[in-house]
Amino acid sequence: MNNPTIRNWLGFSTLALMLVSLFMVFDYVPPDAEMGIAQLIFYFHVPLAWVAFASFGLVAIAGIFYLWLGDQLWDDLGYAAAETGMVFCTLVIVTGSIWAKPIWGTWWTWDSRLTMTFILWLMYGGYLMLRASADDTPQVARFGAVIGIVAAMDVPIVIVSVRMWRTIHPAVLVTKQGTHGLEDPRMVWTLLVSLTAFTLLWAWFLMLRFTQLRTRSRMAWLAGRIALATAVASDPK
Amino acid sequence: MGAHFGYLFAAYSIIFIVIFLYVMLIWRRQAALDAELRTLEARMAALTEHSAAGRPSEPRSGA
Amino acid sequence: MSGFAAVLRKDLRLELRSGESTLALLALSMLVLVVLVFALGAARVRSVDAAAGALWVAMVFAGMLGANRALLAERDNGAIRGLLLSPLDPSTLYAAKLCAAFIFMAVAEVGAVILMVLFFNLDFDASMARLAPILVLGAIGFSALATLLSAITGRTRGGDMLLPILVVPIFVPALIAGVKASAAALSGAPFESMGDWLKIMIAFDVLFVTAGYLLFEHVVGGD
Repeated sequence: MNNPTIRNWLGFSTLALMLVSLFMVFDYVPPDAEMGIAQLIFYFHVPLAWVAFASFGLVAIAGIFYLWLGDQLWDDLGYAAAETGMVFCTLVIVTGSIWAKPIWGTWWTWDSRLTMTFILWLMYGGYLMLRASADDTPQVARFGAVIGIVAAMDVPIVIVSVRMWRTIHPAVLVTKQGTHGLEDPRMVWTLLVSLTAFTLLWAWFLMLRFTQLRTRSRMAWLAGRIALATAVASDPK
Repeated sequence: MGAHFGYLFAAYSIIFIVIFLYVMLIWRRQAALDAELRTLEARMAALTEHSAAGRPSEPRSGA
Repeated sequence: MSGFAAVLRKDLRLELRSGESTLALLALSMLVLVVLVFALGAARVRSVDAAAGALWVAMVFAGMLGANRALLAERDNGAIRGLLLSPLDPSTLYAAKLCAAFIFMAVAEVGAVILMVLFFNLDFDASMARLAPILVLGAIGFSALATLLSAITGRTRGGDMLLPILVVPIFVPALIAGVKASAAALSGAPFESMGDWLKIMIAFDVLFVTAGYLLFEHVVGGD
C-alpha cells in the first residue's frame, strides 16, 4: 500500500475516470422524465454514499483487528477511514439536500435515510473530535477502536428505528417491486462508471492518509528512540 | 437547460471543491510531515556525531 | 460476584452519605422540564407527545451528568487506579458501575416522572405502570452506553464535552423508540401497540450491555 507508483497511477486513473463520468452525466445520460435535470445529482450522490458507508464499515473492521492484534497499523487504517468517510458523508448530505430542494421543496426533512446518514455523520464526527482532542497514544487508539465498533453495531438498530419512524426517500436501486428504477441502459452505465470512479477516489484518499499516518507513527517511535539515545549519550557515566 | 440547472451545478461544484480542499489538506499535512522528518534526521545526525554507540536501529514496519 | 457487590456497595454508600449525584440529577431533570414548559408554551404543554418528549430530554441530560460525575469522582482522587490494580476483572467492574449508574438514573427518573405529571397536567393512573418498563429499558441502555463511553471521555482532555457528542448519536434508536412508546403509554394505548418499539429498546439494551461488558477491558486496561 505504500508504493508511490501504485499511488500515482491510482491518482491519475481516478482523475481520468472522474472526467469520463462527468461527461456521461452531463452529455450522455438522459435525465429522468419526472424529476428533470436535478435527478442527475443522483449519479454522484449514490457513489458518495457507497464510499462513505464503506469507510465507516472499515473503521469498525480496523477497530476489531486493532483490539485483537494490537498493531498500530490497524489504528492508522481506522483513523484514515474515519476521516475519508467523514468527507464523503458530508458530501452525501450536501448533495442530497441540493437534490431535495427542487424535488421535495425542502432542504432537509426527517426521512429515514437522511436521518440515518445524519446520525452516522454525528457519530464519526464524535470519533474525529475525540482523536483531535487527544494525543496519539495506544490508549487513544483503543478508544477509537471501541467507538468505531460500538458505532457500527448501532447502525442496524438505527436503520430499523428510523424506518419505523418515517420514510419518503425514493428507492431507486431496489424498488418495492423488486426491480431497479433505472429504465434506460445508459443510466445504468453512467452509475457504474461513477461508482468505479468514486471507489478509486476513495482508495486513493485512503492510501494517502494511511501512508501519512504510518509515517507519523513510525516517526513518533523514532523520536522516542532518539530521545532515549540522546539521554544515554549525554549521561556523564 | 432545465429550470433546475442551478441546483445541479451547485451540487457538482461543491463535490469538486470539497475534494480539492481535502487534497490540499493532505498536501499541507505532507509538508508538515516532511519538515518533521528533516528535524528528526538532523537530530539523528547530531547524535551519531556525538556518539557512534547511541545510534538507534532502523524502525520496523510494525512499530 | 463478591467484587461486583463490593464496588456497587461502595458506590451506593458514597451516594447515600452525600446524596450529591441524585440531588444533582433531580435538580437538572426539574430544570430541563421547566425550560421545556416555557419553551413549548402553555398551549402545547397539554399534549401527551410533548410530555413524553420532555421526559426523555430530562432523562438524557440527567444521565449524562450522572455518568460524568461518577467518573470524575473516581478520577479526582485516583481511585480508578486502585480499582484497576485490585484483582477485579474489568468486566465485573463494568457491571458494577453499570448497576450504580442505572440505580441513580432510576431514582432521578421517578422524580422526573412525578414532575412531568404535575407540569404537564397528567394523572397518576394506570398509564404510569405502562410507562415504567419503558423507562427501565431506556435507563439500562443509556447507563450501559454512558458507562462505557464515560470511561473513554473521562481520560481525555475536554472529555466532559465529548461525552454527549459521543453518547447522544449512538443513543438515538433507543431515544426514538422510547419517546414513541412513552407517548403511546401516556395516551392510554394498550401495551401490545408499542411492541415493536419495545423490541428495539430490548435489542439496544442487549447489544450495548454485551458490548460494554466485552469492550470495557480495552478501555480501562493497559495503563
